[in-house]
Amino acid sequence: MEGKKCYINGVGVISPQRTYVNSEFLPEVKSYGNNVLTCVTPDFKAYLSPVQLRRLSRMLRIGMTAATICLGNAGIKVPDGIVTATGYGFLEETEKFLKELLERNEMQLTPTYFMQGTYNALAGLVALSVKCTGYNNTYVSKGFAFENALQDCLILLNANPNFNLLLGSYDESAAVQYTAGMREHQFKKEPVNSLDVFRNKTDGCIQGEGSAFFDLSGEPSASTWCSVEGIQLIYRPESPDELKETINSFLLRHDVQETDVDLVVSGMSGCKSKDQLLESLERLIFVNTPRAYFKHLCGEYCTATSFGMWLAASILKKQQIPEIVRASNHEFPDQIDTIFMINHYFNRNYSLVLMRR
Amino acid sequence: MQKSIDELIKELRQELVKQLNLEDMLPENFDENTPLFGEGLGLDSIDSLELVVLLDRNYGLKLKDPKEGRTVFYSIRTMAEYIHSNRPQQ
Amino acid sequence: MSQRVFITGFGIITSIGNNSVENFQSLVQGRYGYGELSILDTIHRTNLPSCEIKLHDDELKKLSGVGDRKGFTRTTLLGLVALKEAISCAGLTKKEVHRSGLLSATTTGGIREFERHFYDLLNLSKDGPFAQFADTANPGEHCERLADEVGIKGYIATISTACSSSANTIIQGAHLISSNLLDVAICGGAEALSKFTINGFNSLMIVDPEHCRPFDNTRKGLNLGEGAAYVVLESEASLLRNHKSPIAELKGYGNANDAFHQTASSPEGTGAFNAMKQALDSGNVSTQDIDYINAHGTATENNDLSEGTGIQKLFADKVPYFSSTKPYTGHTLAAAGSIEAVFCMLGLQHQMIWPNLNFQHQMPELSITPVRKLMENIRLNYILSNSFGFGGNTSSLLLASA
Repeated sequence: MEGKKCYINGVGVISPQRTYVNSEFLPEVKSYGNNVLTCVTPDFKAYLSPVQLRRLSRMLRIGMTAATICLGNAGIKVPDGIVTATGYGFLEETEKFLKELLERNEMQLTPTYFMQGTYNALAGLVALSVKCTGYNNTYVSKGFAFENALQDCLILLNANPNFNLLLGSYDESAAVQYTAGMREHQFKKEPVNSLDVFRNKTDGCIQGEGSAFFDLSGEPSASTWCSVEGIQLIYRPESPDELKETINSFLLRHDVQETDVDLVVSGMSGCKSKDQLLESLERLIFVNTPRAYFKHLCGEYCTATSFGMWLAASILKKQQIPEIVRASNHEFPDQIDTIFMINHYFNRNYSLVLMRR
Repeated sequence: MQKSIDELIKELRQELVKQLNLEDMLPENFDENTPLFGEGLGLDSIDSLELVVLLDRNYGLKLKDPKEGRTVFYSIRTMAEYIHSNRPQQ
Repeated sequence: MSQRVFITGFGIITSIGNNSVENFQSLVQGRYGYGELSILDTIHRTNLPSCEIKLHDDELKKLSGVGDRKGFTRTTLLGLVALKEAISCAGLTKKEVHRSGLLSATTTGGIREFERHFYDLLNLSKDGPFAQFADTANPGEHCERLADEVGIKGYIATISTACSSSANTIIQGAHLISSNLLDVAICGGAEALSKFTINGFNSLMIVDPEHCRPFDNTRKGLNLGEGAAYVVLESEASLLRNHKSPIAELKGYGNANDAFHQTASSPEGTGAFNAMKQALDSGNVSTQDIDYINAHGTATENNDLSEGTGIQKLFADKVPYFSSTKPYTGHTLAAAGSIEAVFCMLGLQHQMIWPNLNFQHQMPELSITPVRKLMENIRLNYILSNSFGFGGNTSSLLLASA
């Protein structure tokens, strides 16, 4: 039984590109030269009151603002539920609390950093700010976190199509995570221009961050961007063939042929070894379908699928495919009705999402 | 030499603003008698805990029961008075 | 709920036992885990006694079958012990395990190892055995490692909603099963003690240096604990196919948000009320049918007042037996929901109600009193289990005898 589809009725995205103004679509493209991409942020005071802003860390400000923009875009004051996702959480605050703890030898510690470091702090604060007493959950499953959250929403909307659910993600380009990543050989050794990351052909990714909020409902509205038809998660696929089989079953379940897909949005990361499966897959399926990449714009982070979702939703709504994301020599269509998105996080967590105009 | 209440008030105001990030939200008529919690400045229980730590770190005074905070932290003046009467003599 | 969801197995490790049998014996005998810390290195080892599992990491590595392999945090090791027991208890085949989902919760993940090696880990010019913990602090890591260890590939998810986390894994597991996306979901949580949490909770001034006393008028706060527990959820179809008898049915659940304050619950108990009511409504069960409530009962002034008020409002003059089992195990944070669900199932199996240890003085704000002594031979059909966390997260599970 495949669940019913849902609609994206509102969007609020803050990322390493200027994405927080919904009427724009990548008006300018920012490049980064040091392998770390950080958010282009609005003036938070335009969205949050001084009382709200007072105790918020940088990432909480970003998350709360993205949520505010999304609710405004959807024309919703109080959603029926809030589901958030993150890979590493609020690392800056966690690091601050730990440092104080160690430097002060566990004495005289203040609670603010501890509290602001909890993974569900954003979901809790959004609920508090709009007095949402409905369903509330937070996923912290690394490369699956956003996908789990989306799946959760799809199940809830299947049972309650008139609900409006706020789905949100956040992840930081924290120094602590960068160091961990360098130890694990996750990031590039040498600096690379972010816009060249796919031409670069070396191992390692570039670090990114962002927060993306979507208002999802089982019913379309005047502010609908597109529909999300379904999602599938694949953990550690063993071969491109296995992935291809899974994609074929997924398309079949949604009554879609390969030729119906107008564009593939792919989470190619720029890491030569980890991208191998996806690269092989490009020769096996959707060979004749135009492709778009997005991680040169946002970097790699656990919940980067959310940026890909923003890109796909924007393409479907505005019927434009910006030059900067085009990643194949195919002729790009003028009309885009169906987008297939595939993402991976370090060749462990793969996800498939089908979206329609 | 021990600080006077007025000196403590000045010091505490600066500390509070810094520790609790209050720059952008101090009302115009805010002074040492403005209630910090509830009606006046609207601080909450987390801020109260921050003030407990501030009292300990900066003035060596420990509040064992967070409930004591209700009277001690009523305003900057009450804080200054508490510190002045309880601070270990130097 | 379209497909009925049943529980066919569980596994647990806490400061009162390394498995279900040992935990059961301790519950019956009133044996608790509260005491001075001897394994975690903290200055609070004597002034903030907690419920510590008296096994060093090496012993846990032996117990869980990990041996000498590297990169296993204490949280993961605890999880693995409980997970293996749950799988064995449910009699899952290798193929079934492969197709199962694993939904695990934690608030700390590998923070214990991160704080121990903090300066070394952040200094890239340094190397050594500590480097095995380079990327194990984040919460999702433990879940993937657990899945890899036992061979689960069907669905992986990690939840972190503070103290309601593992209750939420059980709810999400049920959602996936009733939507026919999974036949089997193994749900629960794991949490190791750490300086991070001890000091974090202490900075909120809600930790009691003495043994905690939930719902008691003199209560001063919680004791922290560590542990792990998992329950195996199976669809009705899977049960029929395999001719299995379930241990219990997950009849309903509720998830709501208090939306009152970041760390405190509303004095009216709104979140608690809503979560419990949702659980009853979703299971089509009335307040009259509930035989026992396993309360969240952390013994903080705030929680017990809020939860007690919520219970009184919902059940009016027919409040069922209720107790908090946290004096036994301490507050095991993310693992609390699943640990207490296991305790509820042990209660259903043996028709027993676990006492609310240390209760002496009635709270004047409440007219209800928790169960003070072990109750045996008590007919139990429907049980509610509550878990409430920071961020206003309130969850409640409705368990029914099978």
